[in-house]
Amino acid sequence: MKGRTRALARLLAVQGVWSYERMLGIGMGYAAEPLLHDLQSIDPGRHAEATIRSAEFFNSHPYLAGLAVGAASRAEYDGVPGEQIRRFRTALCGPLGALGDQVFWAGLVPGIMAFALVAIALGVGGSGLLVAVVGYNAIRLAVTVWGLRTGLATGLQVGTAISASWLPRAASRIGAPAGFLVGAALALIAAWFLVPLGSAGFGVAGITAVLGVALARWGGTKFTSLRFGLMTVGLTLLWMRFAPWP
Amino acid sequence: MTGTPLDLALLLLWGTVVGLDLVSVPQGLLARPLVAASIAGWLVGDPVAGMRVGALLELFALDVLPVGASRYPEYGPAAVGAALLAAHQPWSVGVGAGGSLGLVMAALGGWSLQRLRKANARLVQTNAAALTTGMPATIRRLQWTGLRRDAFRAVVVTSASLALALAGRNWLQVADVPGRLLTAALVGAGVAAALTGAWRSAGHGRRLRWLAAGVVVGALAGLFL
Repeated sequence: MKGRTRALARLLAVQGVWSYERMLGIGMGYAAEPLLHDLQSIDPGRHAEATIRSAEFFNSHPYLAGLAVGAASRAEYDGVPGEQIRRFRTALCGPLGALGDQVFWAGLVPGIMAFALVAIALGVGGSGLLVAVVGYNAIRLAVTVWGLRTGLATGLQVGTAISASWLPRAASRIGAPAGFLVGAALALIAAWFLVPLGSAGFGVAGITAVLGVALARWGGTKFTSLRFGLMTVGLTLLWMRFAPWP
Repeated sequence: MTGTPLDLALLLLWGTVVGLDLVSVPQGLLARPLVAASIAGWLVGDPVAGMRVGALLELFALDVLPVGASRYPEYGPAAVGAALLAAHQPWSVGVGAGGSLGLVMAALGGWSLQRLRKANARLVQTNAAALTTGMPATIRRLQWTGLRRDAFRAVVVTSASLALALAGRNWLQVADVPGRLLTAALVGAGVAAALTGAWRSAGHGRRLRWLAAGVVVGALAGLFL
């Protein structure tokens, strides 16, 4: 099977036409196209069917989509019945979404950004941020390569390969260090901002923070952090406009 | 120093890259406000201001969990405008003003993402028949149309962000703004946002204890800043 490099490059844009209807579907079909190309000379009818299936509804974490693209493409070459491939793709959505969200969106991304914030607060500056971004992208690329290779190598057995891989272990272990880093970053970056502003700055920030946490925890789903931030801006500007200011 | 046509062109280009990075390509942390604003600050000759306003907006972004079809604000292009506004100002004024602009633009950016997703759904629906023929060219065309639309969206959002930043710079020059209050209030709101997000992710288990330990260690280290 040729086209692995092109498929890999296309996987970086797997959410290029994300929609509520097919979610990652079209992007998956776009990434699978180079892999399915050889099927056209072997069995043109099968190639057309495989192309249709490759772009159907699919949802997972984008970094792990390569596992499904590779596995489904391999299954097409192996002559697995179309309906079975459809069911297989559907079955992969949940685990790939849950594992990816846990490892990347709730673990690695906040952990890495917290690391960068700690580095900035400690005076390391831009080099800490550069290390964070380069390191993250190296991991992101390595995961994409691993996903496509594993999918292509294992086909319908990709579920077993995922279970035996680093992925479930990472999902269960990444939470603690990420939580620690975010906690440390919060306190450090607050001090970095507020120490130069003096006790008045600490007081204003402290009251706002307590109110914000209370509203977010017990104020219902309407109080998103963004809305609270915008409310803070509005109220502060009103205060600055109408209150006597030394 | 800031606001020259070359500065604005570079910021617009960077904002477009950042806007594409969030969802479409390559999802490599460029859309994080800390990264977007730091580079934007560097482009206009004040990387420290960019880093400061980026750090503030990053606290808000840490609350966002972009899972599945969830709706979320877009902080990347917003952070580019925020950095332009904050650059070459006293930081105690610039961070509050830039952060305020960043929050407004993040809301607008998030709204534009929803519009794009709906437009993409209509695009796929109108091409549903063509997709059943199994022609790879149809998939390619849809993919590139989606990418072009997202790039256009990013250009528009970044342009709006930069226009508001330029207007805000003029306002900051004529108004004697006691910006420390706004900066302090926004830092408090940002800490609340990040803490709420971390608390929600931590649940009640081991991660919550590690989060608490991190806060204690960070606070102790903060005493020496």
